[in-house]
Amino acid sequence: MALFHDRNTPMIDRYRWWEVIAIYAGIFVFLFFLLAPFIEGFLVSLKPLAELFSTPYSFWPENGSFTAYVTMWERVPGFAWYVFNSFLISTVSTLIVLLLVVPAAYAFARFDFRGMGLVLGGFLAVSMFSGAVLLIPLFRLMRSLGMLNTYWAMIIPGAAFLIPSAIWLLRTYMMRIPNELNEAAWTDGASQFYTFRRVVLPIASPGIIVVAIVTFIGAYSQQFIFALTFNSKTEYMPLPIGLYAFFGKQDVVWNELMAAAFVGIAPAMVIIFFLQRYLVGGLTAGAVK
Amino acid sequence: MGQLSLKNVVKTFGQFEVVKGVSLDVAEGEFVVFVGPSGCGKSTLLRMIAGLEHTSSGDIVIDGKRVNDLPPVKRGIAMVFQSYALYPHMSVFENIAFPLRVERAPEAVIREKVTAAARILHLDQRLQQKPGQLSGGQRQRVAIGRAIVREPGIFLFDEPLSNLDAALRSDMRIELTRLHKQLGATMIYVTHDQIEAMTMADRIVVLNAGYIAQVGAPLELYHKPQNTFVAGFIGNPRMNFLPVTCTAATDAGAAIDWQGKAVTIPVDAPPDAVGKTLSLGIRPEHLLLTGGEMTLTVTPSVVEHLGQQTIAWASQGEGAAPFCTVLPGDQHVVADRPVTIGFNAADCHLFDENGQALERRFTPGSAAG
Repeated sequence: MALFHDRNTPMIDRYRWWEVIAIYAGIFVFLFFLLAPFIEGFLVSLKPLAELFSTPYSFWPENGSFTAYVTMWERVPGFAWYVFNSFLISTVSTLIVLLLVVPAAYAFARFDFRGMGLVLGGFLAVSMFSGAVLLIPLFRLMRSLGMLNTYWAMIIPGAAFLIPSAIWLLRTYMMRIPNELNEAAWTDGASQFYTFRRVVLPIASPGIIVVAIVTFIGAYSQQFIFALTFNSKTEYMPLPIGLYAFFGKQDVVWNELMAAAFVGIAPAMVIIFFLQRYLVGGLTAGAVK
Repeated sequence: MGQLSLKNVVKTFGQFEVVKGVSLDVAEGEFVVFVGPSGCGKSTLLRMIAGLEHTSSGDIVIDGKRVNDLPPVKRGIAMVFQSYALYPHMSVFENIAFPLRVERAPEAVIREKVTAAARILHLDQRLQQKPGQLSGGQRQRVAIGRAIVREPGIFLFDEPLSNLDAALRSDMRIELTRLHKQLGATMIYVTHDQIEAMTMADRIVVLNAGYIAQVGAPLELYHKPQNTFVAGFIGNPRMNFLPVTCTAATDAGAAIDWQGKAVTIPVDAPPDAVGKTLSLGIRPEHLLLTGGEMTLTVTPSVVEHLGQQTIAWASQGEGAAPFCTVLPGDQHVVADRPVTIGFNAADCHLFDENGQALERRFTPGSAAG
């Protein structure tokens, strides 16, 4: 029993041996369910193509290698470019969202104005629509604005659909910043904008980073539908469309497709890993009380 | 710099009137404490003086200028908040420097003023730390430092010590009094703690339900409360009230019937008080175990022995405040056993049926108890 805790473990954190086994078993089932497609995808990327269609199907690669990770670049020479496009579209979308959402969320959090509830409710309602429902009106809009077949056709709708949830997320965070800080700054002669820039923004930065991460992931994952509909130029294609290049005339190069999918998300992982280092808690410690 | 006048100031929130016409003059350099139970409008009044709340009607005049429509910074005030309201991402130095940065003071001036404020508040060693690393008392001093650097005519304090523990609070009381002497600025201080009010104030303003119940020096309020509200609010434990009948009004005072015996209380008694039921007020600390011109037998249900004093609480029946006796030292008083206590007519207060005091003939410093 003492295997699972030592003398310094608080009483509330002590479990019996069978409880520990049950907890780990639960974690394993949960994670397996969640990660199974990824594990399978990764194993597929290691197998030679012929093995994928062998019967009986072997789950573990028999002579696995990372060859697919090399050959994928030769089969689809523009692949790096697609990854860059994805990255560019998501980054610009995220920047636009942040630029619009940070002041908006502050206004919704701190001020009380006529029609506020209505607008907030409206944002919530809009975010319940998926982009797919609005594709046809969006297509017409993009056409009249002359944005079809440009980066903007993927960036602008992408950003627009991410704004409502970002506002709600950041508003909740900003509402926790004590109003006394605004009052104190106001009595010291600071303008609303000065207070926003010098007091609110630094304190809200962890919330802003969370919003940036969520928005970036959202933009990365939802670009498929907009890219498919609003863009037909190869040079603007983002990663999800680019993966179709592995669909040959006769067959699908599954192992390279899987390898490409893993390579494609790597830059996003790096960005997120970089951003989450700035997620420090307790920034308001010592502000009040 | 630092003279303040309130002229019939009113504040309403929707239908609800919080401050109902307050007029007050505060002289330059005075330390005035607003005190009252929660919801009496004292914080709202302070926030109106600060310029954080709009004044519904009436005038707020600072140094002869009506400031109702001016923002806080143009009023020559600085405010210290109950919650400190420090900027958590800035160092102590930057927190104190904030008002100077806002007005774009030169770096050298900022450095000089912040250092001076830090020296006054004993924060010299803490300037590079963040508020999160400081104790409650140090945080409060940073908040005061931020107020000092602006060199305002009037300091406003909104219950600044209520988040501190008891020991720190008494230290900070002394420190604030010292600061007031050192700066010579007008200070207006809101609290619900009457000890803070009694110890620090030049004058206390007792507020009750949006009105001023009484304004006066601390001991004036203690010895000559003008009504039952002030009598009950100032002094701890609360004053005891007993119904008595006035039998005669003479030059010597009001004669009352006390258990069949006529006793004259030295107050200014109007002739029409005769025959009416009055409230006799007697403070718990003026009760004696032996002697006294008047006596009363009570049966305490709870006795608290504090060593320094013995406090006995006797129930006066359903709904009525308990009758409290404070005796010096460790006395042999036992719960549920009747005890006879006495008190002197000179220590008594009398209030008419409207709760207004009949003025006591009392010169401060002559009290027996």
